[in-house]
Amino acid sequence: MNVKVDEALYVIERVRHLTESTYVLRFSRNGMEFNPGQHLVLGLPGSSELREYSIYSGIHDDFLEVLIKEVDDGVVSRQLKSIKPGDKLEVRGPYGFFLTESGISRPARLLFISSGTGIAPFHSYIRSNPEVDYQVIHGVRKMEEAYDIRHYKKGSLQVCTSRDNQGDFEGRLTDYLLEVDIDSHRQVYLCGNSNMIFDAMDILRARGIPQRQIFTEVYF
Amino acid sequence: MRYHLITLGCQMNLSDGERIHTVLKEMGLVQTDSDSDAHVVGIIACSVRQKAIDKVYNQIARWNKSKNHRNLITFISGCILPDDRERFLKLFDIVFPMSEVNDLPGMITSFGVATPASLKLPVKGIPGNEQIFSLWNIQPDYQSAFEAFVPIQNGCDKFCTFCAVPYTRGREVSRPSGDIVNQVKDLIQQGYKSITLLGQNVNSYGLDKKGRELNFARLLREIGQTALQMDKMCWIYFTSPHPRDMSDEVIKVIAAYPHLANQIHLPLQSGDEKLLVKMNRNHSMERYREIVHTIRKKLPHATLFTDIIVGFTGEDEAQHQHTIEAMKEFRFNMAYVAQYSPRPGAASYRWEDTVPVEVKKRRLHDLNGVLQETASKHNHQTIGKTVRVLVTGSDRKPGYLKGLTEGKINIRFQANRTDLVGTFVELKVTGSNGLSLEGEMATVNITAMAPE
Repeated sequence: MNVKVDEALYVIERVRHLTESTYVLRFSRNGMEFNPGQHLVLGLPGSSELREYSIYSGIHDDFLEVLIKEVDDGVVSRQLKSIKPGDKLEVRGPYGFFLTESGISRPARLLFISSGTGIAPFHSYIRSNPEVDYQVIHGVRKMEEAYDIRHYKKGSLQVCTSRDNQGDFEGRLTDYLLEVDIDSHRQVYLCGNSNMIFDAMDILRARGIPQRQIFTEVYF
Repeated sequence: MRYHLITLGCQMNLSDGERIHTVLKEMGLVQTDSDSDAHVVGIIACSVRQKAIDKVYNQIARWNKSKNHRNLITFISGCILPDDRERFLKLFDIVFPMSEVNDLPGMITSFGVATPASLKLPVKGIPGNEQIFSLWNIQPDYQSAFEAFVPIQNGCDKFCTFCAVPYTRGREVSRPSGDIVNQVKDLIQQGYKSITLLGQNVNSYGLDKKGRELNFARLLREIGQTALQMDKMCWIYFTSPHPRDMSDEVIKVIAAYPHLANQIHLPLQSGDEKLLVKMNRNHSMERYREIVHTIRKKLPHATLFTDIIVGFTGEDEAQHQHTIEAMKEFRFNMAYVAQYSPRPGAASYRWEDTVPVEVKKRRLHDLNGVLQETASKHNHQTIGKTVRVLVTGSDRKPGYLKGLTEGKINIRFQANRTDLVGTFVELKVTGSNGLSLEGEMATVNITAMAPE
């Protein structure tokens, strides 16, 4: 239970605001080794409130990044939104096995399905392994929430927007899954809110994707 | 000076407690079964359920009240969530993590001035596990002459959404395999009959060492081989494994070595695919089914135990029904069914606890009903057979002793011989009473494993 606080402090390098509520926090890597898909537990130093966030940056970056959406009654996401370069951050981890334990075998064909900030682990994976054969289906409310779309290979990202018509598909990503051809040989990874994951799992199984090819990480 | 120690929760806490006994006895303190005549009293806490933490608050209130008329030093350790720890600092004289148990004598002797524990920075987030090795290096003061626990791993990296263990015990750390094998060897040599390898996720043993340590199957093989060479009758168990890390190799090793007991505890938590996802268990029902199939095939006599949570946030009637169906399908011999209670720090603590208490109670009752059916059926089939039993003590029924089969099924039999406690006997099963058996003595004083 003893925590060496000094060793857990990381320095904020940059805060990049993507929308009014969503931002990317970049901080020192301090030599941390991780696998894409793992998450960190972080918060302000000395605060008893810490939260889990998936790593957004790649394994070759010399910094760490997390993608955070400020939630209405959230404590940590609000505190961190006002953090400044040079400030300190308490970080624990990395933890988790999403994307690694299932043993992505190369050359695998991957289908990443995410809602909102659930795209973070896939961003980390793709940034770490740009050569892989992947497709991303990202469900958001508005196109402005399709974060960093230029980081994905052309044609490999399908944005489904439920509240505007600016995406590649107008409607929920589950509606898109019902309409689009799905390669049944792809390994499918789902990340985001549980309702999306449950609905998507039902559709995928009904469309012939075996359960053993489906892997999940629930955010809320 | 006398001390009294209360251990709450799991076998890991019992094992930690045996090391606290050693530390206190080496200080010259004498153990007493009653807290009323003790000078030092302590608790090893459990945070898995709120009920266990409520017990701590009740106990310390009583002890603090008794300080009005006697000198008493109180301490607490074990699995403690950060918020409770803050409160315990005000209620207990000494609060320390198990990894710092070696400092306990200093904390007690310097009590009255600021203690090292009270001067520490408040603990936040996930605890470090750096000093757990010093805990493991303490020779435990075994509280039983025939049953012992051997920690092989501490902490958890799995982050199931309902569980706060990663926040109380830190991340997974494996104990060196050489130390584990030596401790098991020593216990067998001393005549221990039931040895349980402990960890929050025993079958992820070695993974934290990234190839520089044996994996769990190989560790089991080493232990099985060691026990075989010593040729003394004993049963070796492990708990708890995670289905995600349960390899066929582990099951094959158990089948290959007679001392590795035919009993597997495999937590299911829910029989609903989506709830498993929401719990972040990271295995499917299909995978669980495959493991059970392999167990039944390779270990046809093994009993199967499980843990189930009813009323997890969002669980509806259809999902509950899936768990009922799963329990019928897997025919568990024992299931520890618990009502979901949100644990501070766990991810699900921030989700609405949607299932009313009355519904949780009813669902718990439903599952216990299924367990009674499946376990009774299995137990009934053993009537007339002769089973080997480790006698564990006197039964509540006067004139009877109680014991456990290799599969950890409770059995009682008529005998007025307390000298049999801690020995193996063979009993002819004469009856079944739901989850337990009744038998009559056939053979006593068994010292070697049964022939193949």
